[in-house]
Amino acid sequence: MLEDVLAFAALPLAAAVVFTGIHTWFGLQVLRRNVVFADLALAQVSALGATVAVVAGHAVQSPAGYAYTLAFTAVGALLLTASRGLARSVRQEAFIGVLYVFATAATVLVVDRSPQGAEHVKKMLVGGILSVTGDDLLRFVVLYGIIGALHWLMRRPLLAAAGSEDARNDAGKFLGWDLVFYLSFGVVVTSSVATAGVLLVFCFLIVPALVGNLFSSHVGVALLIGWAAGALASAAGIFGSFLLDAPTGAVTVLAFAATLLIAGAIRAFITAPATQRRRNRRVGLHVGGLIICLLLGLSGAWVVIAPAGDHPLLAAIEMATGIGPDRFMTTTERADYLEATVVARRHKAEIDRLYDRERQSRWQGEALTADDIRRLGSMQQTLTEMGRGERFVVDYLRTRGRERERWYVGLPLAAFGFLGAATIARRARRGL
Amino acid sequence: MRIVASTSDLASLAQAVAGDLAQVETIVPPAADPEAFEPRPSDLARLKGASIVIRVGLGYDDWLNKLLMMHGDAAVNRGGAGYVDASVGIPLLEVKGSQLDPTARDGHAHGLANPHYWLDPANAKTITGAIAEAGIRVAPEMAEKLIANRDDFLSRLNASLARWEQLLAPHRAARLIAYHNTWPYFARRFRLDVVDVIEIKEGVAPSPARLAKLAAIMREQKIRLIVHEPFEPEEASQLLARRTGAAVVKLAPSVGSLPAANSYLALFNYNVATLAQALSAVSN
Repeated sequence: MLEDVLAFAALPLAAAVVFTGIHTWFGLQVLRRNVVFADLALAQVSALGATVAVVAGHAVQSPAGYAYTLAFTAVGALLLTASRGLARSVRQEAFIGVLYVFATAATVLVVDRSPQGAEHVKKMLVGGILSVTGDDLLRFVVLYGIIGALHWLMRRPLLAAAGSEDARNDAGKFLGWDLVFYLSFGVVVTSSVATAGVLLVFCFLIVPALVGNLFSSHVGVALLIGWAAGALASAAGIFGSFLLDAPTGAVTVLAFAATLLIAGAIRAFITAPATQRRRNRRVGLHVGGLIICLLLGLSGAWVVIAPAGDHPLLAAIEMATGIGPDRFMTTTERADYLEATVVARRHKAEIDRLYDRERQSRWQGEALTADDIRRLGSMQQTLTEMGRGERFVVDYLRTRGRERERWYVGLPLAAFGFLGAATIARRARRGL
Repeated sequence: MRIVASTSDLASLAQAVAGDLAQVETIVPPAADPEAFEPRPSDLARLKGASIVIRVGLGYDDWLNKLLMMHGDAAVNRGGAGYVDASVGIPLLEVKGSQLDPTARDGHAHGLANPHYWLDPANAKTITGAIAEAGIRVAPEMAEKLIANRDDFLSRLNASLARWEQLLAPHRAARLIAYHNTWPYFARRFRLDVVDVIEIKEGVAPSPARLAKLAAIMREQKIRLIVHEPFEPEEASQLLARRTGAAVVKLAPSVGSLPAANSYLALFNYNVATLAQALSAVSN
């Protein structure tokens, strides 16, 4: 099993590190250019090209599919380049937003002509980094290596076009470099979106670059920090998805978000200049305390107002302390509550047993007749209904318990939370 | 008479019963995933003037409820003469429901039981019976012809079923992994053991931990074949196949999902022949 885990993780992790390598560099330029959503727009235009290819009967990975995707991306790159010249009176992000929604809507319309289009669109969004192969990885290393080397040679004019005062004042002067940037960016995005999906590629692009910029304004240092943060976030996401038994793409996106949060906290509370650090710590303590106290206060108040409603915070406290609504039931109620819980569990076990019996009979021993199957189904349905009945009893008795609990737990919790929040707010105002 | 079926499988069976007495139309295009289908305005127009509407039921084509409600013709709504829920009378498998355990991981987000019942050819008898009954209710003058058409279809089906069972008999109790929980009815009819499925939540990619667990099961139980469907993402199945040395075989879950499966009988002709061939290849 461990061998499988490592085998399934090795290539995706290597791919994630390669993606981080090239995207962090592009991300730093994107942040300088202040066109954060250019990636999403370009990725969506690229996805539109891939969708048109699928509808035209070509596989996305085929040469024809790649040609379609690349052609659409090149058009997107040209539009993004032109948008900078147009953006004298309006922010360039507005044009990027329009390009994104246009490409998304066009993809939906094109998909409407393909029976498997919805699946294709979903795949473009979440990707499938888990299934990357050795050949894919080699292709990425070669392609991104060439683009990375070219960018290294052209780094000065590219960075100047991205963020210099000159570039801001005279966009036309750097039009050629803008086109080089967006075209190469398009090639990278086209290639990575097909594997990692739009959401994850956005993370590879923006989060490591943001983390790098948090700690240094020097491009080289920010790049190194971004690479380290991106590699750590990728490893946390991929191994986290094993531990949580959850889809890799989604967990990796969360890992990137957590990395940004941690980096922000380190910057604010540890590496900031001393005076700023002290102020950040004070503000952090106040804000954190205020949020916790408000959550406790609102949760307590919600129990008092609606004891029959959902109480996630209270349920967590009950689970941690072992003090639940059954403590506030009468002896008879508690006995009924525990019995209903046990019976519901027994019904579920019986349903599972019947299910296993039917499943075994599909291939083992004498096959069950249609009437046998109907009888089993009917028993499963009856047990399900009986289980619902027991659940109703559990819910009803829990509500009765909570109706009493609200005065002993809800009211003090609300008072503690709101008083705490008021105290913190007053101290914070004095401190300011 | 115009018959509208939610899926191509039911449309094919309806065509077999109605013959040239009716025009049969399908709402979900062949090869599309009916569980993820979103109806369009043209589908509402398709329902206009329909004498009979046939659905899979069991939550599989829930989107039809809204269309029927908007359509408003009582005759083809629940309880109407032209309304056919083809699941009625079927011996249903995996009747668990989601009421006891909302986090149940059986691959179907809703519904009373596994809805892929048309994949047991023996169930076609019940389904065509319900279609013929609806036809007779709507157009009693066609009763004789409808019954004759159905009898003719069932005799062809029974002859084919014997042949299909014979083809897969040497592979009785063969162990398989499926991408989606589509095959319990098929497995029951042909005595196959679908040990586990890759996708346990509809539309959610499997986690690497699940793939590692499946790889271990496949090695331990010497499972050499993964059953895949045309509209499902291939990456996870291929990854698992590469890791375990298993083969991936693509079967048609519905009429029209693969070119060779262009009618209800052709669907089983293709699936049985392809599976028998794949099982023979991996056992050698």
